[in-house]
Amino acid sequence: MIDQLEARTAADRSVTTTPGARNPTVLWGVYAVWLRELKRAVRDRSQLIGGVSRPLLWVVILGIGLNPYFRGEVYGEVRFVVPYTYLQYIFPAVIVLNMLYTSVQSAVSVVWDREFGFLREILVSPLPRGAVLLGKVLGGTTVALGHGLIVLLLSRFVDVNISLARIGQGLLFMALLGFALTTLGVVIANRLRSFEGFGVFSNLVILPLYFLSSSIFPMDPALTRTQTAVHYPDWLIFLVHWNPITYAVDALRGVFIGFNQFDPATGPVVIGAMAVVLFAVAWWDFRRA
Amino acid sequence: MSAFIRTITTPRLPSLGVPCSMPLICFVHDRLSAPRPLGEHDTSTATFGPTSGHGRGRPVRGGRSRLTTRTAASVFVDRVSKRYGRTPALVDVSLEVEPGQSLALLGPNGAGKTTLLHILTTILRPDSGMATVAGFDVVKHPREVRRRIGMVFQESTLDDRLSVRENLEFHGLIFGVPRRQRNAAIKELLELVELDNWRDAEVRSLSGGMRRRLEIARALVHQARILFLDEPTVGLDAQSRSLIWEYLRLLRRSREITLVVTTHYIGEVENCDRVCIIDKGRVIANDAPDALRREHGQELLRVTVNSADAFRDITRSHPEAVSIAEDRLAIPFEGSEFIANFVNRYGRAIDAIEIERSSLETVFLKLTGSELRDEKASHTEQMRSIRRRGGELTR
Repeated sequence: MIDQLEARTAADRSVTTTPGARNPTVLWGVYAVWLRELKRAVRDRSQLIGGVSRPLLWVVILGIGLNPYFRGEVYGEVRFVVPYTYLQYIFPAVIVLNMLYTSVQSAVSVVWDREFGFLREILVSPLPRGAVLLGKVLGGTTVALGHGLIVLLLSRFVDVNISLARIGQGLLFMALLGFALTTLGVVIANRLRSFEGFGVFSNLVILPLYFLSSSIFPMDPALTRTQTAVHYPDWLIFLVHWNPITYAVDALRGVFIGFNQFDPATGPVVIGAMAVVLFAVAWWDFRRA
Repeated sequence: MSAFIRTITTPRLPSLGVPCSMPLICFVHDRLSAPRPLGEHDTSTATFGPTSGHGRGRPVRGGRSRLTTRTAASVFVDRVSKRYGRTPALVDVSLEVEPGQSLALLGPNGAGKTTLLHILTTILRPDSGMATVAGFDVVKHPREVRRRIGMVFQESTLDDRLSVRENLEFHGLIFGVPRRQRNAAIKELLELVELDNWRDAEVRSLSGGMRRRLEIARALVHQARILFLDEPTVGLDAQSRSLIWEYLRLLRRSREITLVVTTHYIGEVENCDRVCIIDKGRVIANDAPDALRREHGQELLRVTVNSADAFRDITRSHPEAVSIAEDRLAIPFEGSEFIANFVNRYGRAIDAIEIERSSLETVFLKLTGSELRDEKASHTEQMRSIRRRGGELTR
């Protein structure tokens, strides 16, 4: 009988503490969490409807409506303030908007999981918290990327012609942005005691970030600072310049319509820094939780 | 001993003329107690601890020597205390569950059962004291503990947007169960809890009882040997409740599982080998149901009186009486002449009288001085289910 016990404990050990078996296990866990995010997103019809209707509203109604006003008149000569139509101008910003909504929405599921218990199922598993976070963020990134692609389908319609090479670069930026935004959502969600509904997020996080990102009106760098100040109050300029999303929008504009308000390198750097810093914060939160 | 049992449980047995029912009983006993020879008290601490503890590198790392002498136990709790703010939830709780045993933690809501379970499943840390599960310290090696246990929470922790199969698959993946083993386990468990026809149904469409069964199955996908269930039958109708216990019995018959179950339904603890009564964070008794009945059982006379005067009279002349409500008393007694005398004396003051034979209810009443507050519990259950439903609607 003693032999039986020893055989059993030996078996236990070999199953669970083989050193090489650890890392693949963690990867499977990340995959599981990622897959779950994806499945939930695909099955959530309201999220899909939002992902399709939002770009249509912004492009078809707002874009077409404001298109004629997006120009300046200098000595009777009509010219565009920015050498693009309004539709072209807001198109990259709508990509960012759509991704912003989606990634924050999927990050908010952290709160749902906590409130409705599923998080416990993960917390009693041997999966490290960091792997849970990574799976979650990668899942959100993938879904956000998908919703960004929905907007890209409208590109012909708004006279934006994108070469294959540009698409590649654009997708890379979008993926990085999706990662950063989902992590932002997770960081916010971790700080919430209770879940008040998605409207709060939409009004307090997503829309302010979006409107303050030079997305729907340009701060023309061709104007001097004094000239800009004549058009816009200081606080607005300040907020726009400190909003990281400004540079994300700028990066996508650079890729898709070839227009940059800032140094073309700024955008990718800011997005990358956002991703790294926010993920570090989220990681720290998760380890503590 | 177990060898003997094995031989008589071979299928050829009936031809040897052994009564038909015997193999079955032996079989059950064999499965339930298969590892018990290892844990037979005196020998286990004497021979196992030292040899398997240090020499063979049994997976107790950094444990004190006292700990290693107890590794034969699946669950070992030593003077664990926990408080929430100023409220003590657990006070010096010690207990032990041997491999293959089933333990019921019985107590009213708020007694500390869930807190204890959360400490054992590494969700909470104890303020003081020490606990090991499967030989690992729950504070020092939480991940080793988690690998070896299955947990079924009081509230559903299923993802109701995923299908039955997907929930199980998710669990297998995050526990790192290899694909082939995972598929086999899922198939087997779904058949066991009779959900194989619902494999691809979204969990949203399942009834409460089916969800519970699914959660029990899920907790075992990674071949857990120790299963913790927190109020597994709460909020279910009587039929589903007994079904859940039926599945647990089946499970324990088909594999070697140590079971720790919390419940506040006193009738259910009969399904377990041992009962640990917890009240206000303290362990009050810990024994087999039969032994508890034998030791603490008492016959009770339950009386409903019709006036406060009568209530006072009776409590004065029977100081052993326990008051249950303003007009209700439970009086322990022995011998049938007591009833006759009592009725003679107080017959006019009594609205109703009821004789209760020795049962776990009477044991509980004697040990805690109160009844299990079932009505109150069902009220909170209702609140919980309303909240849960509300949550679903507002999503």
